[in-house]
Amino acid sequence: MSLTRTWASRLAIMASLALVPTYVAAQDAPVVIASSEDVISLDPHMLDSNNPTGSVIWSLFDSLVRRGPDGSPVPRLATAWERIDDVTWRFTLRQGVKFSNGEDFNAAAVVTNFARMDTAPFNSVQQLHDQTGLKEVKVIDDYTIDLITEKPTVNMLYWLAEAFIAAPGQISTVSPDEAATTPAGSGPYVLGEWKRGDQITLLANESYWGGAPAVKTVVFRAVPEVSSRLNELRAGTVDLVVGITPDASDQANSDVSDLVQIEGLRKMHMGISIKGEQPALADPKVRQALNHAVDVPTITATLLAGTTSPLLSIVNPPNNNPDLAAFAYDPEKAKALLAEAGFPDGFPLTIQWSTRFDGGKEVSEVVGSYLEAVGIQPTYEAVELAAFRASLGSASLKGIYFQGWAALINPSVELVILTCGHVDNSSGYCNPDYDKLVIEASQTLDDTARKSLEFQAQAIIWNDAPWLYLWRLPSFFGISKKLAYDFRADNYLEPYLITYK
Amino acid sequence: MTQVSVSTFLRRNVIGLIGLTILSVAAALALFAPWIAPHPPSQVNLTARLLPPFWVEGGQISYPLGTDNVGRDVLSRIIYGAQVSLSVGGGAVVIGAFVGSLIGILAGYFGGWVDAVLSFVINVQLSFPFTLLAIFLLATFGGGFLSVVIVVALATWVNYARVVRGQVMSVTHQDYVEAARSVGVPVAQILWRYILPNILSPIIVVASFSMAQAILTEAALSFLGVGVSGTRPSWGMMLNDGRTYLQNAWWMTAMPGIATALTVLAGNLCGDWLQDRTDPRLRR
Amino acid sequence: MIAFILKRFAQGLLVLIGVSFATFIVAHLSGDPVELMARENATLQDKQDLREFLGLDRPLGAQYLSFVTGALQGDLGYSFVQRAPVTDLIAERLPATLLLAAAGFLLALAIAIPLGILSALKHNTGWDIAITSVAMIGQAAPGFWIGLMLVVLFAVEWQLLPVSGSGTPAHLVLPALTLALQSSARLTRLVRASVLEVLSADYIRTARSKGLRERTVLFIHAFRGAMIPVVTMAGLELAELVSGAFITETIFAWPGVGRLAVNAVAQRDFPVIQGVVLLAAVFFVVINFLVDLLYVVIDPRVRLR
Repeated sequence: MSLTRTWASRLAIMASLALVPTYVAAQDAPVVIASSEDVISLDPHMLDSNNPTGSVIWSLFDSLVRRGPDGSPVPRLATAWERIDDVTWRFTLRQGVKFSNGEDFNAAAVVTNFARMDTAPFNSVQQLHDQTGLKEVKVIDDYTIDLITEKPTVNMLYWLAEAFIAAPGQISTVSPDEAATTPAGSGPYVLGEWKRGDQITLLANESYWGGAPAVKTVVFRAVPEVSSRLNELRAGTVDLVVGITPDASDQANSDVSDLVQIEGLRKMHMGISIKGEQPALADPKVRQALNHAVDVPTITATLLAGTTSPLLSIVNPPNNNPDLAAFAYDPEKAKALLAEAGFPDGFPLTIQWSTRFDGGKEVSEVVGSYLEAVGIQPTYEAVELAAFRASLGSASLKGIYFQGWAALINPSVELVILTCGHVDNSSGYCNPDYDKLVIEASQTLDDTARKSLEFQAQAIIWNDAPWLYLWRLPSFFGISKKLAYDFRADNYLEPYLITYK
Repeated sequence: MTQVSVSTFLRRNVIGLIGLTILSVAAALALFAPWIAPHPPSQVNLTARLLPPFWVEGGQISYPLGTDNVGRDVLSRIIYGAQVSLSVGGGAVVIGAFVGSLIGILAGYFGGWVDAVLSFVINVQLSFPFTLLAIFLLATFGGGFLSVVIVVALATWVNYARVVRGQVMSVTHQDYVEAARSVGVPVAQILWRYILPNILSPIIVVASFSMAQAILTEAALSFLGVGVSGTRPSWGMMLNDGRTYLQNAWWMTAMPGIATALTVLAGNLCGDWLQDRTDPRLRR
Repeated sequence: MIAFILKRFAQGLLVLIGVSFATFIVAHLSGDPVELMARENATLQDKQDLREFLGLDRPLGAQYLSFVTGALQGDLGYSFVQRAPVTDLIAERLPATLLLAAAGFLLALAIAIPLGILSALKHNTGWDIAITSVAMIGQAAPGFWIGLMLVVLFAVEWQLLPVSGSGTPAHLVLPALTLALQSSARLTRLVRASVLEVLSADYIRTARSKGLRERTVLFIHAFRGAMIPVVTMAGLELAELVSGAFITETIFAWPGVGRLAVNAVAQRDFPVIQGVVLLAAVFFVVINFLVDLLYVVIDPRVRLR
């Protein structure tokens, strides 16, 4: 009898002990984020992808200024800034910030970091110096610096967002190996453990200057297949999923999770290679014909399950020119335009895509079938990613190619990519009138005047059709019902903003 | 020759007959595709995408095996796909057999350091993880039809080389050949009259198996995205296309896989049958 | 015998050198990895700086020599793309691949040996025809396709097993089964043929006429004789399995060396490609060598040649 009682009490104790961890765990359980790949490196100056590497770096490190979800600048390690003259920006730095290895943040730290970003191999990944024309960082005092550029630029704050600051002593003495694996930043999280190829664990930085984050442990896991990510979300083993295709999107809705759709920023289009193998593409009428030949609304309704709509400008809302309209689906008009341009029987055209964006093959085949209907003879070609990027850089693709261009809300950046000879101008489009407008706009400090110039530029280029306009790529995310978080359209995740419901 | 009844003939050769029948059907599909296929294989139809096979709810009889992610008819693509699979298989067999047999003859007939060098090359190739090499070559040099045929031939030439080498070696050491060599009969004549007849049947057996292997390899390469590209559908390419739709359109993967399996099976059956018929040691 | 072993060892070494040379040439023929490492709009000067930093502008001969001398010391180079030593990258993933290959191998044997023996014993009956047919189909279907069909059945339709990934024993089932099925198809037919051949051999008839029990005849004499060719093939199958793991690992997101290699090809990560190919070649050569040794030990006929 006493034996039974002992056993019973033992069982009771075991049972209650089993319950306790569950209760504690609910609030302190790690938030698990599943992406399609693993983090590449924790070196803050080798950041080349928004997620997951970017999200992890944004958690471990800080920059002077951050981009808010709507594109406006948010003070981080810099508390205030002003333009002193056309080429000089003065920044006031935040005081009392310490890096995770104990070093202090001050002006010297900024100098060291920016200098490192301008040397090989980092200068082939970093954009700050190239895009802003930054030529000197002048130290005024311990907490004030001047950034001096070669020419006036409105984009300084935009590009500072990814100029991360690491502990200067550590980053300038450590080997490249260690820089990639032992981060010393001042961000809201510190590194817990990294199992390469599998997952990385971040722990809350309790002494973060902005206050410790609500989520104490964050795990970023690499789960390559979309179906697996969704299955784990539904099973509750993963709390946040990034990278969901439109066809699979409704699977993110379940008893324990929700689907979130964000208006995308990436403008998908078929780039038109004006200096490629098909000379017909140099004629704007031909390019307009291509746009009229493809029924983009039907494609978005079927292939993309109605989750997005056709492009209305090469500049994203809210800065797009409202007077522009998408090219109507009109195969007869397309054929007429082709005939006017001297190609009544069409012409051969190579359609290319790479693995850079999902669905390249699918979209290319669909676009090709529409073009066939107006007399064009398409051939299809999958291009290996490195070769594709090389061809993009030298503007030497053969015909039309599936591509997507993303930038945050900044019309100046969005417009400049199609100026003559710009490094991102892969189509070879060149219009001096357009260039004049764009350059003038980027140097106009008066908002209303600048806006009017930008609208004019948009109107010119829209009708000249250097692209076969498609749609804005919608972003889908899955989130557990236990969490609350506002997703960003640029795919960066900010775990320190996640809260429990 | 003894009189053999039809039933006995069938029973003894049933395996080979099945194999040959399947291969003939595949060849017929490939040759007569434009007349047999119900739809053009590349005809996109966005309103009819992801239709299931006709026996599943939602399917239509006009698309018997269903449609793919952009509305193309799966059955038509399988029929036209036979063209690519069989021509890649056939081309690879021809090139592989030619190159492999040549090397095997050289190694087997001349022996000595020629054999040592060629055997070394064969061993190096065998130690290479072939899949990786194939992906690498095709990814960087482009996946045109000819490149794929050459890469697949690369996978199979070794089989011919080894078999032919062994056979040539054993024939070369026979008395009558040694005699002919010592008398001064030109090499070409020896090869033509004595060696060649003895290696034809092993080559045909290997060819049958390696045709099957070639089709499998092409499927694997297309599956990895580095196979024959362009407008023409191939079974491997269809398998790759269907991979992201596994959960909602299983027929995109199942159908081309069955077609591949049947054709490869046919190749193996023929190979088995030929082997049984030509190799006296295996008579059972 | 010693001479035989030494000769085989020397041959193996030569093969490895040949493989390393071939890999190096092919990897460097493919083009410029800097294109993928630099951001899309990097300037030409930046890219050249990167090339110099990585030592890619040195003559090919110098690069090959440093690769070989490093490899001999166990240093397989440094991966530009992943910012980590290749040896570390491979070492981290090798256990997963070995686990998968071992599981697949054991599963293949567990399927093939009993089925092959059964098929041989019930020679030409319904059992035999059924097993042989299944084996033939298994050999004919593309391995990765079988894997995908298994996923559709077990993971999507019936939801019994996870779709992909690793971590629990349940995650190992489908990938191991996919690997095992093709091997086991080949092995089953081989076991069957081998057992049949042995059963009709003279020494078995002698054993039977001596009056030994059927079970003794089977397990002690027949089995041993039949296993010789099976052992040889099985050894080679294991090597094949490791190579077949490339595709299987990609389908099931298994964190092994195969996936590392496939990604490295996509990213033109030369050092990783070279390292993995070299490793696979070493594996092949070692297995072949061991199989040769085993053959000599088991089969007395070989020794006497």
